[in-house]
Amino acid sequence: MNINILIGGAAGQGINKVSDIVSNVLSKYGYYTFNYRDYPSLIRGGHNFNVLAISDIPIESHSLKMDFIVALDERTIETHKSELKKGGVLVTSEGFEDEGKNLNVALAGFLIKILGIPLKNLESEINSQFKESEDALISAKKGFDKAEKKFSLKKLNNKISILSGSEAVSIGARNSSLDVYIAYPMTPSTNVMNEMAKNQVENNLMVFQPENEIAGVSMALGSSFAGAKTMVGTSGGGFDLMGESLSMQGISGIPLTVYLASRPGPGTGVPTYTSQSDLDIALRAGHGEFPRIVIAPGNPIEAIEKTSEALLLSEKFRTLSIILSDKHLAESEFSSDEKLKKVERFSVVRDVPGEKIVKAASYEVDGTGNSTEDAVLTEKNADLRVEKYESLKEYIVKNMEMIKIHGNKDSKNLIIGWGSTSGAIKDAIKDLDAKFLQVMYMKPLSPQIKEEMENAEHIILVECNVTGQLGRLLREKTGIKIENRLLKYDGRPFCVDELKEHLKEML
Amino acid sequence: MVNEEEKSVIKPVIAILKSETVKKLGTQQENTWCPGCPNFVILDSVKQVVAKFIDEGKYKQEDFAITTDIGCHAKIFDYLNLSGIYCLHGRAIPTAIGMKLGNPNLKVLTFAGDGAAYSEGISHFIHAFKYNPDMTLVLHDNQSFSLTTGQPTPTSQQGFLSKSEPLGVFDKPINPLKLALASNATFIARVNARDIKHMNEIFAKAINHKGFSFVEVIQDCLIFNLDANHKDKMMYKIEDNTDLSLAEKLVGEFDYNSKEGKIPIGVIYQNEKIPSLEEKWPQLKSLMEKGVGWKGKDL
Ligand SMILES: Cc1ncc(C[n+]2csc(CCOP(=O)(O)OP(=O)(O)O)c2C)c(N)n1
Ligand code: SF4
Repeated sequence: MNINILIGGAAGQGINKVSDIVSNVLSKYGYYTFNYRDYPSLIRGGHNFNVLAISDIPIESHSLKMDFIVALDERTIETHKSELKKGGVLVTSEGFEDEGKNLNVALAGFLIKILGIPLKNLESEINSQFKESEDALISAKKGFDKAEKKFSLKKLNNKISILSGSEAVSIGARNSSLDVYIAYPMTPSTNVMNEMAKNQVENNLMVFQPENEIAGVSMALGSSFAGAKTMVGTSGGGFDLMGESLSMQGISGIPLTVYLASRPGPGTGVPTYTSQSDLDIALRAGHGEFPRIVIAPGNPIEAIEKTSEALLLSEKFRTLSIILSDKHLAESEFSSDEKLKKVERFSVVRDVPGEKIVKAASYEVDGTGNSTEDAVLTEKNADLRVEKYESLKEYIVKNMEMIKIHGNKDSKNLIIGWGSTSGAIKDAIKDLDAKFLQVMYMKPLSPQIKEEMENAEHIILVECNVTGQLGRLLREKTGIKIENRLLKYDGRPFCVDELKEHLKEML
Repeated sequence: MVNEEEKSVIKPVIAILKSETVKKLGTQQENTWCPGCPNFVILDSVKQVVAKFIDEGKYKQEDFAITTDIGCHAKIFDYLNLSGIYCLHGRAIPTAIGMKLGNPNLKVLTFAGDGAAYSEGISHFIHAFKYNPDMTLVLHDNQSFSLTTGQPTPTSQQGFLSKSEPLGVFDKPINPLKLALASNATFIARVNARDIKHMNEIFAKAINHKGFSFVEVIQDCLIFNLDANHKDKMMYKIEDNTDLSLAEKLVGEFDYNSKEGKIPIGVIYQNEKIPSLEEKWPQLKSLMEKGVGWKGKDL
């Protein structure tokens, strides 16, 4: 079972509330949902839509073709009616003219009835979301009563929770008891800042918004040096500004964790859309040669775990760890019943100012921590940085889950992808003869990748960028060039049905 | 009462003790400033002031943390045996603020040049006054990018000829003290690098100030922008000032451009009623109360 519902309207009409109510009711009813958010960079008006996918088995993607379209305005009908499947239903605001700002609630009620879910489930959701509002309940019931049941979803026993990638990064950071989070607003990284800021005092951490990204990352180095577990968050342009300080991290060895959420560039690009085009800068930003770790989770559960890993590794190896995400992961809402792996707790054990005299520098230093231009030390320090990379690599290969294999493990058809694209790939290959290799550690790379590539007869690369950045990285590291590439770079993520069609043609 | 005889015994003992602490604040690093560079005097002054705080039992040597920028002035990092970060060019101020976010109990001193803070890091300079962290900025103003061989900075005078601007500087210099006041500074002082006694006094006041204290040190560079040197004749000492309208007048007296007029030195403005960064943030306040940084938060 897989039902896709498009909910569209102008910004400010509250389309998110519709998907919110419906997905909450459904997840409590034991169903998996995935909610994709598509919105332009404006605050009121324009055209926003969500696609809410519903399934009785885990899903992490949405489709191009809709079973329902819920239109809060005319423009939604105009723009999307061609996406309606044969036999699909268009739900409009007709008959709900009097609902005013509760139109969204009424339409949510309408959908719940169509799906065949009992009224009491809707009522309890509305009561918990709109504590005191009688009006909301009346509107929801009115919507419910006007609709006709089309499905009869049976209650399932799955224990499901809904999370966005941004909430997940924030949970992962808190699981590792992050102390200081520093970020300058930039979509799509901002939601992590908002999440962390929400209950910062109760959660015993601090969220600081500096004057710009350069200040932010400089502050992060100072804060980390002083002994706080520190993380910064940003997106492409902001990350560029941080470049010099990443290099400063490399020479000083002050632990630093960066959350980088991508959107389509270059320049300001397409700010509220998605892209996987910042892998290159994550791998290489900052002058000089120094070690780093780049980790790209594909869904919120991985984002929780990998954020904790990034923080642990930064501290353990006094290095730079980058958590690479994008708008699609950061802002889509995923449902899951997966159990989290145990978090490896850690404390800051290094010497910090206040306790000892500790020095760190942007220059090469000698044993006393003072600057040096000595040739022997210059060479030795460079060697030490290479050794540091070798030892962190060894540790990661031994201890961390660097890749995942999904689908038919014996298949000779190998699909390779990473990050937020993984959801659509996992769902698309459900009944294809294909194995999906999901790369999570982009640096260091798992040695298993080369083996998998060598054993495959047919390899397809799937990424959301125009040059196939993971493909280029794999070629550099394995010598194997992937000829078959499925690249999407229109700012929109892959839909599962379109991806499946493409993969079928290529296999 | 101490009689004359006892005094003469006690005095040298104290002097020795002090010099022991001053010695502990030094390092073995070879000093590479040009002979006679005023940075030597600033280094001595900082050592004496910090040593005094340590000797008086107010702080331990480990409680201090410094950040330095990049430039001639910044070499002070290597010559001070204090915790700290030798930062990237322009970033000494935000890195220092970060230290305060990481452990609000640290006594933080930042050393930056006029190129560093007024050019590369100007946005940080302005915002520091707004955040008002309890720390001190020592700004070495020699009206020149010296370590990069003498290019003009935002406070270089009009007409300054250099290899990078052989046509001479067209623009009038900025007035950083005016800018600081307009940015709600809570402590602005100016000192002369030739007057170590006065410098000691003002540095101590700056460190004691509860909030962001900004001390501009007027210093000559012996190699570059020689025309800007020898402003001593224009300088005059003022009483510590807490009056805003007087401060507005005082910061306007020197325009960094002409060799005429007066240059007030001393505490030009102080306001301790504005809460510091550490007082504004409940998280930092609580760390202050416990006397720990985040590292010790669970103790
Ligand atoms: C990002 C960056 N840009 C430029 C430089 C080169 N640089 C080194 S020191 C310096 C100027 C220092 O001038 P100032 O801050 O006035 O200090 P002074 O040498 O006069 O004490 C510059 C531009 C650098 N290190 N980093
Ligand atoms: S160049 Fe100028 S500022 Fe630099 S050390 Fe020499 S005298 Fe001092």
